[in-house]
Amino acid sequence: MKILHIILIFALLIGCDTEKKPQEVNLYSQRHYKVDEKQYENFTKKTGIKVNYIKANADELLERLKNEGENSPADLFVSVDAGKLQKGAELGLFQKVSNSVIENNVSKDLQDKNGYWIPITYRARVLVYSNQRVKKEDLSTYEDLSNEKWKGRILVRSSSNAYNQALMSSIVANLGGDVASNWSKAVVQNFARDPKGNDRDQVKAIAAGQGDVAIVNSYYIGLLLSSEKEEELNAGRSVSVFFPNQGDRGSHINISGLALAKNSPNKENAIKLMEYLTSEEAQRTYVNNSYEYAANPNVKPSKIVQSWGEFKRDNLDLNKLGEFREEALKIFDSTGWK
Amino acid sequence: MEIKKILFSNNKRWIIGSFILAFLVLLPILTLLVRLPTLENTTFKYLWDTLLIDYTISTFYLLIITCFFSLLFAVLPAWIISNYQFVGRKFFDIVLYLPLAIPTYIMAFTYADILSFTGPLQVFFRKNFHSISDFVNHDYMQVEILGLLMGLALYPYVYSVSRVSFSLIGSNYINLSKNLGLSTTKTFFKVILPLSSPAIISGLFLVIMEVLNEYGAVKYFGVNTYTSGIFRAYGSMGDVGAAIQLAVLLLFVVLVFIYIEKKYHSRFKFYYSSNSKIQKLSILDKKSYLLSIVVCSIPFFLGFLIPFLFIISNIFLTYNQIDFLELIELTLNSVSVSTLASVIVVLVVLFFLIVEKFTKSSFNRYISEVISLGYAVPGAVIGLGLIILFTSIDRSQSSIVFYGSFFVLIYAYVVRFLAVGKSPIKSSLEKHPESYDETAKNLGLGPFNLLKKIHIPINKFAIVTALIVTFIDLLKELPITLILRPFNFDTLATQTYEFAIEEMIPMSAAYSLIIIVIGSFLLIILKNSINKQINVS
Repeated sequence: MKILHIILIFALLIGCDTEKKPQEVNLYSQRHYKVDEKQYENFTKKTGIKVNYIKANADELLERLKNEGENSPADLFVSVDAGKLQKGAELGLFQKVSNSVIENNVSKDLQDKNGYWIPITYRARVLVYSNQRVKKEDLSTYEDLSNEKWKGRILVRSSSNAYNQALMSSIVANLGGDVASNWSKAVVQNFARDPKGNDRDQVKAIAAGQGDVAIVNSYYIGLLLSSEKEEELNAGRSVSVFFPNQGDRGSHINISGLALAKNSPNKENAIKLMEYLTSEEAQRTYVNNSYEYAANPNVKPSKIVQSWGEFKRDNLDLNKLGEFREEALKIFDSTGWK
Repeated sequence: MEIKKILFSNNKRWIIGSFILAFLVLLPILTLLVRLPTLENTTFKYLWDTLLIDYTISTFYLLIITCFFSLLFAVLPAWIISNYQFVGRKFFDIVLYLPLAIPTYIMAFTYADILSFTGPLQVFFRKNFHSISDFVNHDYMQVEILGLLMGLALYPYVYSVSRVSFSLIGSNYINLSKNLGLSTTKTFFKVILPLSSPAIISGLFLVIMEVLNEYGAVKYFGVNTYTSGIFRAYGSMGDVGAAIQLAVLLLFVVLVFIYIEKKYHSRFKFYYSSNSKIQKLSILDKKSYLLSIVVCSIPFFLGFLIPFLFIISNIFLTYNQIDFLELIELTLNSVSVSTLASVIVVLVVLFFLIVEKFTKSSFNRYISEVISLGYAVPGAVIGLGLIILFTSIDRSQSSIVFYGSFFVLIYAYVVRFLAVGKSPIKSSLEKHPESYDETAKNLGLGPFNLLKKIHIPINKFAIVTALIVTFIDLLKELPITLILRPFNFDTLATQTYEFAIEEMIPMSAAYSLIIIVIGSFLLIILKNSINKQINVS
């Protein structure tokens, strides 16, 4: 008798459960910043839709999505690299989103031409240089870093880093594989040391006098300039930010963006979240809590980022950052960029 | 022959049971191996042509340096503490284990920060001794320094086995060699070291496994090992096939090491004879005393105290940004999954070892060996195997049954860490005479009763040891947790990592501190448990 009761109670519970399915949206995210949690909380407050997320590396998440197929619980894939979004689209893991609210929210030139992903923020791959040992006039383009005058002076992290891979992809896309390969060979000759560490370490190495110019992500310079440590701030102040290629195609940028999973079980909620994250309100939350540029043209970046001035961005179709990824890697390997 | 024997033996239920369980344990790896012949090998061929020699050289170079420092920091202190009585001896005997509580990647990130241009060392010299500050202004992110740091993080594996071995060798051998006119130094190198070498090699073996699997620290230092190659193939080239192929290559390297270790172990196996008296501890003279203090202090200071204090200083910097509620939640998450998984690990290990002991079949001996293989495979690769495995099960059910649940996460943990739980229990079981089992069998006890009535009571310290070391490893675990965790689930390790790769090391301090404090606390308990086990003070 008792067992029967328990079974009945369970059945009732399960029955209730299916009737009142909670409103939710599931994210597979490469982003894992505190600002994201804040955004999701605000979204839940506004809409009552709960945001669930798994944070891991982009490729592992794509592999997971691919293997899960129709059973996947994921609604949105979130990445900090247009290359990964392109790859996911190429693998057929996403579905197109056509939504006028989102399209009006973000800059036209940052949007996916194929309609598979939408940008939320972007970052630039900039140069920083020693205030003491480099004159601003000496800098011009990424290509110029192959010049012999930079011998033993260039600092950059490993080619395993996705931001370097995206930069190399953009050079291949803009100038062709041969030019990119020669460029890489010459830049490697100019390295101050073997690639290592993160972007912050490259700036510290300039401060330490181990090199003069570093290729870094604007986002990390912002972080360094808001460090809790006086000495790190000093290191940050000993360098300046330079946007390369302003006279021609513009500086290389990469977006952080969202894509709707092909088998998204909560499609409506996912699109609501996309609309929200590109809205001015959410975009302001991004720039107030991180050092990214907003994809929404009405939202200005944080004070630190604004202090570097405005810049012209490379208008390359960002899908190329994925399409040329393999070639970029082979160039790194064949030219000894570790 | 063997199969026939199994089918006709009385123990076939147990043997078949252990076979099935072993199959489950190896399933994630088998899933990958099965796919091997169907994989294209363009990427692998490409890696073979361009990078593999580089990977091989830097992997082995890093291994050699790390092993060198592990031996340096472990063997001499273990020898001093096992043989001499001095003020501070008990203290060092405990604290020399503590670096094990610090995950290798935290050790690497922390020291890179300490030694950097903006770190305390260089700042101190710039402010106070400006004239010589150029002398300390170096790029310390070198492979040799990385080897030193990994040596600091991993030497306790060697220390613990050396310590036990040196204590058990007993005074007979030492007296004998002294009577033969050998000096203390000669005794150490000619008698003690050879006798202890199987134990030391088994400790080094664990160090080697850890180095081969390390990813965060080697990537940060720009050192390209096999594991970084796996991640490059997987992450950058998006070629899962090539990642699997590289993982198999790594597995092969590991098998070579396993073979060497076994060969060495069987050739030089030393049975601590029961009549060799536990030696009395000698008293040190003043000069040797000072020297001993220095030798024991260096690994403790460098391997634990300095990074620990640095992490605490980072907490003071970020104090007002710490989310204490979240900190508590993540601590509970970490502790509960680690506890559950380590208990399962120990139960599974006990099952295999008892069946092996009970049946005495060589088949089961092999099984107990191969279940350790998970430890040789990088966590991310095991994660990949499980993704492929469970998504295909779920697809055939056309609903999500297991995938993305705690079940899969715990499963992966167990596969990965069985070897860690196995080694202390196995070595403890080996010490007890076979006659216990025979008697028990003659009394009609089955494996379960044998376990309950005899082996659990007499091996309880080894079981506690196994639980603790597995727990600590799980607390530090990162790659499996990242990819297999359910929605909205974070651990102390994942949060530490997320801040660290975002170049916000100070923000990660609170989370890593809790890992280290819990680990240290358990290591202190462990130390007492080991001492009781080997009956030394």
